[in-house]
Amino acid sequence: MSPVLGRLRPRGLRPRLVVAFVLVTVLGAAAAAWAGAGSAATALVDGAQERITGEVADRVGAAAPELAYPPDQDALDRLRRDVGPNTLVTYEDMRSADGTGPRLVTDALRGAVRERDRITVQRVAADGRPWLLVGVPLMITAPDGGRTPSGIEVYAVRDLSGVQDQVDALTRAAAGASALALVPAVLLALLAARGVLRPVRDLRDTARRLASGDLGARTAPQGADELAELTATVNEMAESVQTSMAGMERMRADARRFASDVSHELRTPLSTLTAVVEVLATASDRMEPDDRESVGLAVTETRRLVRLVEDLMEVSRFDAGSVRLRVEEFDAVGAVRDCLRARGWLDRVELEGVEGITLRADRRRLDVVVANLVGNALRHGEPPVRVRVTATPDEVRIEVTDDGPGLPEEVRPHVFDRFYKADTARARTPGSGLGLAIAAENARLHGGGITAENAGGGGARFVLRLPRDPGGQEKQEEGS
Amino acid sequence: MRPAQAVRARSAARVPLGLCALVAAALLSSGCGLHPTGPTDGGRAPTGVAPGMTLYFVDGDGELKAQQRESGRLGSVSDAVSLLLTGPGPTSGLRTEIAPVPTTRVAVTTAPDVLTVVVPLSVDEVTPQGIDQIVCTALGAHVQQGGSTGTKVQVRFTLGTAESEEHRTCPLIG
Repeated sequence: MSPVLGRLRPRGLRPRLVVAFVLVTVLGAAAAAWAGAGSAATALVDGAQERITGEVADRVGAAAPELAYPPDQDALDRLRRDVGPNTLVTYEDMRSADGTGPRLVTDALRGAVRERDRITVQRVAADGRPWLLVGVPLMITAPDGGRTPSGIEVYAVRDLSGVQDQVDALTRAAAGASALALVPAVLLALLAARGVLRPVRDLRDTARRLASGDLGARTAPQGADELAELTATVNEMAESVQTSMAGMERMRADARRFASDVSHELRTPLSTLTAVVEVLATASDRMEPDDRESVGLAVTETRRLVRLVEDLMEVSRFDAGSVRLRVEEFDAVGAVRDCLRARGWLDRVELEGVEGITLRADRRRLDVVVANLVGNALRHGEPPVRVRVTATPDEVRIEVTDDGPGLPEEVRPHVFDRFYKADTARARTPGSGLGLAIAAENARLHGGGITAENAGGGGARFVLRLPRDPGGQEKQEEGS
Repeated sequence: MRPAQAVRARSAARVPLGLCALVAAALLSSGCGLHPTGPTDGGRAPTGVAPGMTLYFVDGDGELKAQQRESGRLGSVSDAVSLLLTGPGPTSGLRTEIAPVPTTRVAVTTAPDVLTVVVPLSVDEVTPQGIDQIVCTALGAHVQQGGSTGTKVQVRFTLGTAESEEHRTCPLIG
C-alpha cells in the first residue's frame, strides 16, 4: 500500500463507519440512478431511432407510387430529394448521393438490406459523433399482396448528436441524484456511529478509572447486543479484581497491625530488661571474666533488640501513614556535621561541602537518614567514607560514598527492601535490617529519594536528594 | 498484532475498496454513450413502385380480368380508378360494365380499414360486375401501395342510395 493511501485510511471508528456508510449508500444510489438512467437512455435512443426510421420509410413509401419504374437517374435523384439530405439511393449500377453521410454506409448494412428485404438500421460513430444509418429496400407488391424487391435501395444517414445530448443530460441528472444521497448517508452514519460509540466510550472511561485505581467503577450495560455483553464482562472482571484486592488489602493491614502490636508489646518488657542489663553492666567490674563477657553480650544484644523494636515501630508508623514532618529551616552541612559528631564519626568520615546551603526539612529525620547511610557505609564498605553535600536551586544532594567492593548487580534493586541482607553468611550484623528502608521512606516523605549505585572507583554510592522546600513543592504539585 | 497479521488485515480491507471502484467504473462506463452497433432490423420495407397500373375489366367469358397499363409508375388509387372509367381500349378484347361518363374525376379517402371511392356515376350506370371492377382496381392499387388485402372498399355513387353505404371486397383479391 502506498504511504499516501495509508495516511488517508481513517483510523477512528467514527470516520470508518461514515466512510463505509457513504460508500454503500452512494454506490447503491449510483447503481439505482444509473440503472434508471440506462433504461431511460435506451428507451430514448430506441424511440429516436424508430422515429427516424419511420420517417424515412414513410417518405420513401409516399414517393414510391409517383416513382417511374424502372427508374432513370432523374427518378433516383427525385427520390433522394424527397427523403432528405445525407441520403444515398441506388438501383442496380445507378446511384444518387447527397452530402457527406453516404460514405458512412457500411457493406454490412448493404448486405443485410439485400439479404433480408427489410428495413435495417445500424449505429456508427464518425467524427466523434453518433450516426444512425437507415437502409430501406423498396418493394414491389402485386395486387394480390405478393412482395418482390424492386432493386431500389435508399440509405439515409442521420445525426444522433441530439439524442446523445439528451442521454448525457440524463446521466448528469443520475450523478446529481447519487451525490444527493451523500448528505443523508453521512447523517445516518453519524447517528449509527453515535449509537455504537457511546457504549464504547463509556466502557473506555470505566476501564480508565479501573486502571487508575478506582475499583468501584462500573458501566451500566444498555440493550442486549455484543457491546452490552462486553460491558457486563468488564463489570464482572472489575468485581472480581475488587474482591481480591480488598482481600489482599485486609491481609496486608492485618500484617501491619500485627507488626505494630508486637513492637508495642515488646517495648515495655524490653525497657525493664534494658534497665536490668544496665544495672548488671555497672556491676560487671566485680565479676569473673566469663560472667563479665556474658553480661557484655547481653548488653549488646539488648541494645540491638531495642534498636530493632524502635525501627519496627517507625516502619509501622510509616505503613499506617501517621508520620508527620516537622519542617524547619537549617543549614544542611551543619546538620550533617552534627549528625556525625553525635555518633562520634567525625574522625572516620570525610565531610565535604560549603556552609550556607539552607534546607527546609525535618531535621530529626534528616539526621536519621544520614546516620543510616553513613552507618551502612561504615559497616559494609571500606574507609574512607566520604559525605558530600551539594545543592542546586531546587534540591540538596547528599552523597555517601565508600571505598568498599560496591554493590553487586543482583543486590542493588533490593538494598532498600526491609530485612534484606546482602551477605547471608554475615547475618548477624549490628544493623536491624530496616535502616535503609527507613531512610528511603523518610526521603520519600520529603518529596525526595535515595538512589544506590556504584561509584567510578568501585565503592558504593548512595545519593540522597531532598527538595529545598518540601512544603513549597507540595503547593506547586497541588497547583499544577 | 504481529506485523504479518497487520499486513493481511490491511490487504483484506483493500479488496472491498478496489471492488467498489471497479463497480463504480463499470456503472459509469455502461450508463452513458451511444455505442456503434451491427445491422439490426428496422421493420417492414416500404413498397409502392410498379411499372404500371393494374385495371380490371370483363373478358369474353364474362369473367373479371386484370389488364396491365404500362404507365411507367404505379400512381394513386384515384388515378387507377379514373383510368378504369375511360374503358379498356379497342384492341384489348375486353369490355367494361361501366357506362361511359363525360368526367372521370374520382375522389378517394382512406380510413384505417375502409377505402372510400367517390365515383361520378349513379348506381344505375354500373352493373354489379362493374362495381366489382371499381372495387378490384381500387383495392389492387391500394395493396400495391402497401395497404392490407383485407381492406374493405366503399363505392359512393352520385344520388344517395343504399348501395353507397355497402363495404365491399374484390372476388379476386384477399
